[in-house]
Amino acid sequence: MPITGVYFIPSNPNASTALQVITERLRAAFPNEELTPIGRWGLEQKLLRDTQGLLPSSNSNKKPSNPRYMQFLSLTHYPTHGFIYTSEPEKPIPVPNQNQTQGAPGPVNAIAPDHSPSPPMVMTTIPPSSYGTLFQHFTYACQPFWSHRFTLAVPNGIVYEVGDFRVRLGDVRQTFPTARVRGTVVEIEWCGPSVVEAIPVDREDGSFDVGVGAGGDCDVDVEGAGIDLASSAIEESDIDAEYAATASLIREFWGRLGVEAREAILIPNVGREVKDRLRRWKKAGSGADTRADTKVDKTGSVVGERAEEDPDPWSGADVARQFMEVLRFNR
Amino acid sequence: MHEQSLFASVPVHQHHELLQQLAGLTAMQPRHCLERRLIFKAYRKPGMAGRIGASQDLQQGDLQRLNKMLNGNMYYTQVVGPVSESDFGSTAPVDRDTQMAGMDDSKPYDSSSPSYDYERQPWKLEFRDIPEAGTRSAVTSRLMSSATLPRGDVVEAMNAWGYHFITEYVVEGDMFVLNDIAIFLHRVLHYPGGDESSLPRRQLPALKDMTLFEKSGSYVLQAFIIVQDGSNQETMKTASQHLFGLREQLKSAVLLEQADRLSLDTRAK
Repeated sequence: MPITGVYFIPSNPNASTALQVITERLRAAFPNEELTPIGRWGLEQKLLRDTQGLLPSSNSNKKPSNPRYMQFLSLTHYPTHGFIYTSEPEKPIPVPNQNQTQGAPGPVNAIAPDHSPSPPMVMTTIPPSSYGTLFQHFTYACQPFWSHRFTLAVPNGIVYEVGDFRVRLGDVRQTFPTARVRGTVVEIEWCGPSVVEAIPVDREDGSFDVGVGAGGDCDVDVEGAGIDLASSAIEESDIDAEYAATASLIREFWGRLGVEAREAILIPNVGREVKDRLRRWKKAGSGADTRADTKVDKTGSVVGERAEEDPDPWSGADVARQFMEVLRFNR
Repeated sequence: MHEQSLFASVPVHQHHELLQQLAGLTAMQPRHCLERRLIFKAYRKPGMAGRIGASQDLQQGDLQRLNKMLNGNMYYTQVVGPVSESDFGSTAPVDRDTQMAGMDDSKPYDSSSPSYDYERQPWKLEFRDIPEAGTRSAVTSRLMSSATLPRGDVVEAMNAWGYHFITEYVVEGDMFVLNDIAIFLHRVLHYPGGDESSLPRRQLPALKDMTLFEKSGSYVLQAFIIVQDGSNQETMKTASQHLFGLREQLKSAVLLEQADRLSLDTRAK
């Protein structure tokens, strides 16, 4: 999972977007780079809001409650799954039982000390076949609490490679409820060597594949970069430091373009999946063979054959969070 | 997607014979399945529905639409995960941490013993609407959706999406397929020791300790066809005709019929 940053430049419905300007600035800022498109990309986002929060408050002295969101995002560069990012319930359901001693780490995150006003959010990834089905389910069966507000798409994004960075840019179009232009979005991906890429992806059977970085399509040669570390050599603080250092590289890159934009890099929970992966790796490395005796073929279910396995269900979660952060318009 | 079904009750003494009849009819061996089924209920903050406030920010039409949405139906939904017989009564995969923390070192961990890992349990969200009212054909027809969820603990995501966990049970049964018809002969098992848990179980008790929901041990036979496009009257009609065909074929063994609509009501009050 490469480290990324996402920028969004809003535009007025009838004005031209910043896309042209950014492309020209890229060319001007990096005169030694050949700026030719190396590919296309696209995204689609559907935003739902809590239905109650859309009603005007009848009680004027009661402060409006925090809006809750559910965002569906699909990215063409992570084709094996779609992302759902949902605000946690305001009052968590009381959990009297202490079955779960090791609960979720929660929103506390050393990478992002700044706390956003919105409630913490829960990331889920699902196979593409379920993505549309779940969205339909929420809009059909959950109307009292989820209301579809808008759909955004980047239909025709362009990918450039600029030095150690991969830049994806494209115009954001709203397709629902009314068609209009919302602005321009830019994703900057660090393709240089990174400790994060050295953490192997664990497979469904509990084994680890070193250097497979299933999500990142930047071909980071981990061995070649001289990063060949044992699990004991990486600590969570190293990951925080890596994110912070890479963020400053991305900011420096963006700074050279001199375009004002909404930024999402070190947002809450970024890096969470990488840390989870590190934790699992350390656990697997510390014991003998502790992996579960995974049954290769469980008895089939009524609900059908098992979905094709996603090699790394959590890849791209960081960049998905960043996109959803900048595309979460309050309406 | 729509599911069209016919149901029959099968007394326990007929179970073995019917299995053989179905195997003969479908020319396949029964596929035995065990499923964990978690029941979730949609919730919202009380006292919010139907509230009409000052409408200076909202068009009247918007407000009406929102109020209609707020008073819309909410549902129970199931999260279903396949399990195998060896998952029951087995231990969690041994963790190095817990092993070291454990006081009893005399029992060496047998790596060959089966284990059930809740963190890797696959799940599907299975939604069924209340069956359609007043359908002309005598089959149970209901809107459905089925979506794969991430493995492991689904409660955090389900809570965020607006559902909370109510209870869980297990279904055991055998599956057959005849052309476009799926035939599921099954019964419901309850966990021993009641329902005091407010979270899905991380370990499963031994299968022999599970109790029968229907004390007599009888089974339910469900024959169903899933129609992708429920708005297509032609395919819906074809599906029900195929089910009627099966009803004729099984007439001498069991009586397949439409289920009572309100007994399949999934709406949350």
